[in-house]
Amino acid sequence: MKTPLGIGILLIYVAVLVLIGYLGARVTRKTREDYFLAGRGLGSFAIFMALFASNITAFTIIGHAGLAYEVGYGAYGYVIGWSIFITPFTYYLVGYRSWLLGKRYGYATQPQVFGGIFNSRLVALLFTGLLLYYTLPYLVVSIIGGSLAFTTISDGFVPYWLASMIIIAVSLVYTIPAGLRGTVWTDIFQGLVFLVVAVLLLFAIARSLGGFSEITGQIMAANPAMLQRGLSPAIAPINWFSFSFINSIAVIVFPQMYTRILAARSSDKLKKVSLYYPLALAGIFGVSTLLGVWGSIAVPGLVGKDADYIVPMLIQQYLAPAWTVLGLVVILAIVKSSIDSQLLSVSHIVTDDLLTRFRKVSSGQAVFWGRVILIVFAAAAYYIALIRPAAILNIAAFAFSGFSIMLPVMIGTLYWPRATKQGACAALIIPAIMLHLWYLGILPAATTFGFMPVFPAFILTIITLVVVSYLTPAPDAGQREKIFGFFAQIFK
Amino acid sequence: MTYKKRLTLVSLIVLVMFILHNSFWLWDLDCVVPLLFGFMPFAFSYYIGYALLAVFAMKVIITLAWPDPPGEVVDSFTGNEEKPE
Repeated sequence: MKTPLGIGILLIYVAVLVLIGYLGARVTRKTREDYFLAGRGLGSFAIFMALFASNITAFTIIGHAGLAYEVGYGAYGYVIGWSIFITPFTYYLVGYRSWLLGKRYGYATQPQVFGGIFNSRLVALLFTGLLLYYTLPYLVVSIIGGSLAFTTISDGFVPYWLASMIIIAVSLVYTIPAGLRGTVWTDIFQGLVFLVVAVLLLFAIARSLGGFSEITGQIMAANPAMLQRGLSPAIAPINWFSFSFINSIAVIVFPQMYTRILAARSSDKLKKVSLYYPLALAGIFGVSTLLGVWGSIAVPGLVGKDADYIVPMLIQQYLAPAWTVLGLVVILAIVKSSIDSQLLSVSHIVTDDLLTRFRKVSSGQAVFWGRVILIVFAAAAYYIALIRPAAILNIAAFAFSGFSIMLPVMIGTLYWPRATKQGACAALIIPAIMLHLWYLGILPAATTFGFMPVFPAFILTIITLVVVSYLTPAPDAGQREKIFGFFAQIFK
Repeated sequence: MTYKKRLTLVSLIVLVMFILHNSFWLWDLDCVVPLLFGFMPFAFSYYIGYALLAVFAMKVIITLAWPDPPGEVVDSFTGNEEKPE
């Protein structure tokens, strides 16, 4: 990557992002709706790429490929199998009703939608607090993962601190001026880059390893267990079942994903996204799985965290130097397209749901404060990524589970007229506390009955919502009519 | 068909997809089914088929239970009426 060609490719990539940010800023109006929601006017391709690019994080090429390296082809179904169907399904189940409420009442975030349904500031505050609490560590971990991959693939030429700085700074260049429109436009570009280059990388590595059939034959001869899911304890059925409740169902709860659903222009656009999604997810994780499994033969002997960097290692060891730059562009595209949307959604929630509690903020001022908060959180995330405090990393380890157990509250609120604000609050607080007690080892592991903690916590959320709702007075008729009377006009 | 019945059918589709994902009894086929295209073992090719089935399932769900908002509801939308200052 130190060659003129390598530096040239990187400069072109960054220049395109800056240009997109500039063009996005020219058409973005200084209103809250336009800056944070792109005027709720995203078409199906834009919203598909925006959701997909934000959904695919450094985990896809780092953590997932590392798992495939260790457990074999079963990693594919374990990590992404259920997501292939349930993620687009939640765009219908939760996304469509939320989008309708956003269009009807102007809601722009989860705190506004779910606080608005119950007319409850406490429900809104709990959503705000929990979403920020889980998103910030997740954001930092994304930066750490991307920066480490950047450093690995550049063979130490770009040190970790500089890699983090480049990733965050380039994200800010187009996010600050153009808001959601800037991140969506760059997502289209970056999403296409990583889809196309990832497939090219797959074919190039297959070729250098002797071809698809040859490398598979070597795996079957050297380590046939890679083909048999039943032989890997890490993906044993009880873990496989439990994992269905972590990775897959959490996606719609991520604020950066949820907000993008609200930015769709029409119902028809969301439907198309739900149809494209399964194939796109299966495609990108399929590439990552194959590279990880092939790596177990091509670069044997890696253990634990070392296996996570199998894709950068394959590129370095088996492809010409020009491919190293393309590999780096893929990593940058994947990492940045999720980090920019996370930063913007954090800024959106703080501006729209926290700041407005303390002072009156006009639409234009919201854009100003949104930009200021964006810079503040980016600087804080950079600092935390440099010092990597254990507490933050511990929270990030179960952030996905934390998001997942909020889903029953969202579904119950959107579908069950008897759900009460007390039920929603209890179902947000109690399972979150239990999740911490389990993950931090305060409660004995036996109390989860062998499942991952997220599964009993998920069931506890449902039970808490139902029981507390029945024990407390039903929502008043006017409030129910506002939401469910409105839904009744559509779902006949 | 009422919306409730259509929603019940949607729930059944979700249940079938969940069972097909957690189909542990099929894991015995991992070392029996031939490679697809000469390089995809069953543990991998199963999810290629699952992805195609997921597209079909979403198409059915959209047809069954995803109505577009009628004109009078669209007219009531206020979420994108904000004007620049």
